[in-house]
Amino acid sequence: MPDFQCKLKQYRQQKGLTQEQLALQVGVRRETIMRLEKAQYNPSLKLAIDISRAVEAPIEEIFLFD
Amino acid sequence: MDKNKKKWTVVVLLGVLSAGLLALACWWSVQYNDARLVAPTDLSTYVFRVQDLPMLLAGTLFTLYILSLVVLLLRGILTRKHQERLTTRSLNPKLGFLGLLGFLGFAGFWSYPAHQDVTPFVFFLFFGLFGFFYEGKLSNTFMDERFLENRLRAQHTAMRVGFGLLFLVLILAGQGRFLGSLEYSFIALLIAVSLVLGLVLFLSEYLLYRYDHDEEQE
Repeated sequence: MPDFQCKLKQYRQQKGLTQEQLALQVGVRRETIMRLEKAQYNPSLKLAIDISRAVEAPIEEIFLFD
Repeated sequence: MDKNKKKWTVVVLLGVLSAGLLALACWWSVQYNDARLVAPTDLSTYVFRVQDLPMLLAGTLFTLYILSLVVLLLRGILTRKHQERLTTRSLNPKLGFLGLLGFLGFAGFWSYPAHQDVTPFVFFLFFGLFGFFYEGKLSNTFMDERFLENRLRAQHTAMRVGFGLLFLVLILAGQGRFLGSLEYSFIALLIAVSLVLGLVLFLSEYLLYRYDHDEEQE
């Protein structure tokens, strides 16, 4: 899995969403959001886009690849 | 739920009605129509009579009812399959105790010398049912993309281990001199294949649970 940084937590909190709420919005389990925030899970393009729309931030600012 | 109950009440009532009408038509035919279409009938020489109408109508109605039941059943199965795709199936972890059936495989060591019967060895496969312990713990879990990915990873690892072991056993059994007899070699092969398949079944569930559970712990 490629190394990357994930700023999802920051954008999620800015939007005032809990992990559970975001998970519901994008159709995944809360555990998946948790793993994403720790940059321990590399999401599919669809999930990345769904998350980007949910937190209203560009993908490349949420997921920072080297 | 209430709607569903109403639907099934109507289905049962229609069933009772169509069966009742058929019974009535049979009685009428036996009493007043020489039991035509009730007693075995040769359809190649059959000639229609107006008196046959009750039997024909009741029979058609009953056939239509049976056909609609089949359609309802198929639709029910398809809908359930669709729903099951979203979450894992609901399973009691205690079903894992079915894995104990695997010990029946040892009966082969008695049945082979006594009756030349090797089939009990296949029961070793049932050791794989111990995997229900782990599958049960993941009952009704929403299958998102990470879960599906983990499931594929678990199945892939289990298959790789299984095929690796099978390959080793085949090399050993393929020597022919394994255990000093070709017959024993085949029995050993049957035992090994059953055990390996059981292991693959178990490992798929165990690894999936571990991948999912370990990640939650972190």
